[in-house]
Amino acid sequence: MSSKRAAAPGFSEAEAIEQAKGGDAYAFEQLYGLHKRRVYSLCLRMTGNTAEAEDLTQEAFLQLYRKIGTFRGESAFSTWLHRLSVNVVLMHLRKKGLPEVSLEETLEPQQEDGPKKDIGARDTVLAGSIDRVNLERAIENLPPGYRIIFVLHDIEGYEHNEIAEMMGCSIGNSKSQLHKARMKLRDLLKQSKAEKAVRR
Amino acid sequence: MSGTGERKKMTCAEFQEVLPYTFENGGDAGEMEHLKTCQICSDLVQDLRYIADQAKLLLPLRDPSPKVWDNIQDSLEREGLIRPQAKAHSAGKKKVAEIGNRVIGSSGDRVK
Repeated sequence: MSSKRAAAPGFSEAEAIEQAKGGDAYAFEQLYGLHKRRVYSLCLRMTGNTAEAEDLTQEAFLQLYRKIGTFRGESAFSTWLHRLSVNVVLMHLRKKGLPEVSLEETLEPQQEDGPKKDIGARDTVLAGSIDRVNLERAIENLPPGYRIIFVLHDIEGYEHNEIAEMMGCSIGNSKSQLHKARMKLRDLLKQSKAEKAVRR
Repeated sequence: MSGTGERKKMTCAEFQEVLPYTFENGGDAGEMEHLKTCQICSDLVQDLRYIADQAKLLLPLRDPSPKVWDNIQDSLEREGLIRPQAKAHSAGKKKVAEIGNRVIGSSGDRVK
């Protein structure tokens, strides 16, 4: 994302950043207005909980404002903020003691939650049958360990090496978890497709 | 025919075992060959690609509630990170927008 995006008429994002470094509340508010939706959506998708997502959005922006003096523009502001927000969420999840982000081995959800291998059974393909609402709902229903990796990789566009670094796991583990997440989503989406067909 | 040039055909289980690690780059010749001849694995890969593609199209969901900004602003003031008079400027701007919206009513564009 470009740092030349408009914060307000006649007020670029770069200017808002400079003003915010000087403690200008209006500039802070402009930066919040520009990025709140993306940060909140990230927090909400990663936690699956509205109240937690709001608390984490608040924490992410507070950290942003505390650290804004150190922003040198080496990466896009949105990238910097985004990475900071992901770290806030991951830190929170670690503090909560959720096993899926503490140890690599425990990233594995319980076997019964996991997707099954697709061997020997042919079914209809999903193509063309998913709408946004169905997909969002299915993501919400993923086990937390799967959901975090899926959100970071497939929605937010992080690479496996970045995810591995942030989560403290191996690249192979990130790939394996992502695959399981997609397989689980496939199960959930097929289930929802079948239920919809029965209702018709 | 000697066995040196022949490749043992991959099973579905073998293909799906390596799929997490080869999904992004398409896999080697053996995996490609399996995919060409196995409808089940081909459907599976098609579904997984479809899910990944659809996920990329998801947009940010919605805004947080206004109380989030209020809390941030209070914390920033407490920590001395913003100048209090600037908050008044911001509040004044909101007031102007509220008055503007009342004047315009439902017929015009909203003032933000």
